[in-house]
Amino acid sequence: MTASRELKFESPSFFKRIKGMLGVDFYRLFHTPMFYIFLCIAAFIPALILGTTGMENPDGTVSAQLYTNAWNAIAADTPLYTFNSIGEYANMNMVFIFGGIMVSIFIGHDYKSGYVKQLFTTHAKKQDYMISKSITCAFAMACMCITYLLGSVVSGLLVGLDFTVNAGSLFIAILSKMIMSLGWASLYTFLNVIFRKYFGVSIASSFFFGTGLPIIAIGMIFGDTSGSALNIFLYGSSVNACLSSNMMTLIICIVCSAAWAIIYNLVGTAILSKSDVY
Amino acid sequence: MNAIEIRGLSKSFHGMYAVDNLNMTVPVGAIYGFIGENGSGKSTTEKLICGHLVPDKGKIKLFGKDYRDAGVRVRVGALIENAGCFPNSSVWDNLMMQAINLGLENRDEEIRRVLQIVRMESDANIKFKSCSLGMKQRIGIAMALLGDPALLILDEPINGLDADGMRIMREILVDITQKYGCTVLISSHILGELEKIATHYGIIRQGKMICEISAAEMDSRAQVFVSLKTKDMQGAKALLQQKAADVREEDGYLRVYDVNQPEAIVDYLIKNGHVVSEIKKNKIGLEEYYIELMQKKEEA
Repeated sequence: MTASRELKFESPSFFKRIKGMLGVDFYRLFHTPMFYIFLCIAAFIPALILGTTGMENPDGTVSAQLYTNAWNAIAADTPLYTFNSIGEYANMNMVFIFGGIMVSIFIGHDYKSGYVKQLFTTHAKKQDYMISKSITCAFAMACMCITYLLGSVVSGLLVGLDFTVNAGSLFIAILSKMIMSLGWASLYTFLNVIFRKYFGVSIASSFFFGTGLPIIAIGMIFGDTSGSALNIFLYGSSVNACLSSNMMTLIICIVCSAAWAIIYNLVGTAILSKSDVY
Repeated sequence: MNAIEIRGLSKSFHGMYAVDNLNMTVPVGAIYGFIGENGSGKSTTEKLICGHLVPDKGKIKLFGKDYRDAGVRVRVGALIENAGCFPNSSVWDNLMMQAINLGLENRDEEIRRVLQIVRMESDANIKFKSCSLGMKQRIGIAMALLGDPALLILDEPINGLDADGMRIMREILVDITQKYGCTVLISSHILGELEKIATHYGIIRQGKMICEISAAEMDSRAQVFVSLKTKDMQGAKALLQQKAADVREEDGYLRVYDVNQPEAIVDYLIKNGHVVSEIKKNKIGLEEYYIELMQKKEEA
């Protein structure tokens, strides 16, 4: 005999939906090896930056050291706005390149496994998906910033570099870059939502944007005056947060990160809502 | 109230309609067998109901509400194409993620409950990629069952299963509807299996619903026929055609349609010198009904 049942349909609130979605994403983040692998990669990057330069070449000559101060592996001395010193971009900004690849894999697996169908069959909305992925990946990238910091200290000590720095500015620079993770994560989530059917293109686009080349190019077209609002918006903390940062740097990064997150989440949600899931 | 009510639903891909002005009604508590050829639009319809695809036009209502309503969606479970699990995560972790997404309170208890329903209590720690096809299909159903769904949408859940797998799946589906009162929309090519469980049928062709019928209605409409074998099949056929209007030779048997008393047929053949070696009374099944309907549509 068929059981009779009461049919009640209570709409979950936005916060309940987001809590559920964030819960899934964080559960997945902590229960898969990918997150830990990328933490290790982040810790290893400073060793490559600080350790490989200054090493003896096979012909006996010694290549010039990229940095003499270990904290330059975290940020440049002054804000960088042009493409004239590529070497100085080799700092904590590298986390955002590898972070982009991590986001591509994280979101790509949602689509490849078909799990995204389970999500959207139930109460999850496209907006929830964008927000949750941006926050989770921002958290992961912020964690990568911390392991990068640890890697820098260890590598700097091993290589024997100078550690002289304005501690306040250093703290603000690191905090600014961690805050800017949200902006970067939103950009990558947006890119991966657009290219969701093509995993390879997703990774390539994340890498390309992660290098900062497109925004540097735009900055060069519109001029590289350091005070330009467009430049500051485009670069965000990636280059603005430096070893001479002050409270204004932090505020700019908070505003930029929030603006990037809002813009990319809104556009991403609009695209997802008007298109098929896969 | 109907569990699913679709009116004028259309969906096209590159200018070709996969679902074309489709109407569909699935009553609450039904096991609705959704039948059609490959590419007829079954999966597309199911994906539209699940919100995976955006319709070109038309209305979909679930339990009287718009299908996008979060309150309704939270009570929908689906198995479309595959289970939607992460291959490197365990069965337990995959179920846990869906339980968290649904905001369930007693997650561990709920996961154990659904694993018990699909008879996989002892397989919770196996990685999803290590599971057999039958197990993966059952995990998909367990995922769909989390959170007390009122509607289950299952796309070909018995495809590729062996006889035992099909039996287990059939028992699970009957359990779900009888014990938990779920409405089930199930598509399958294996009509014999579907016939054993479905209470309603919908037949789709080229994106259009060509027939919706309840199992009871089909049963009452189904033609009764007698299958028999004699030594002289042609002679017997000619003889029977004088008495009964519809006699056909199929699969090595003579089929005499619309017969209420098989004894009268046997008596008639014996009196005319034919020995009947085998006889059985049958009803037209879902498969034959479907094939006949398709042939009629083809001719039309």
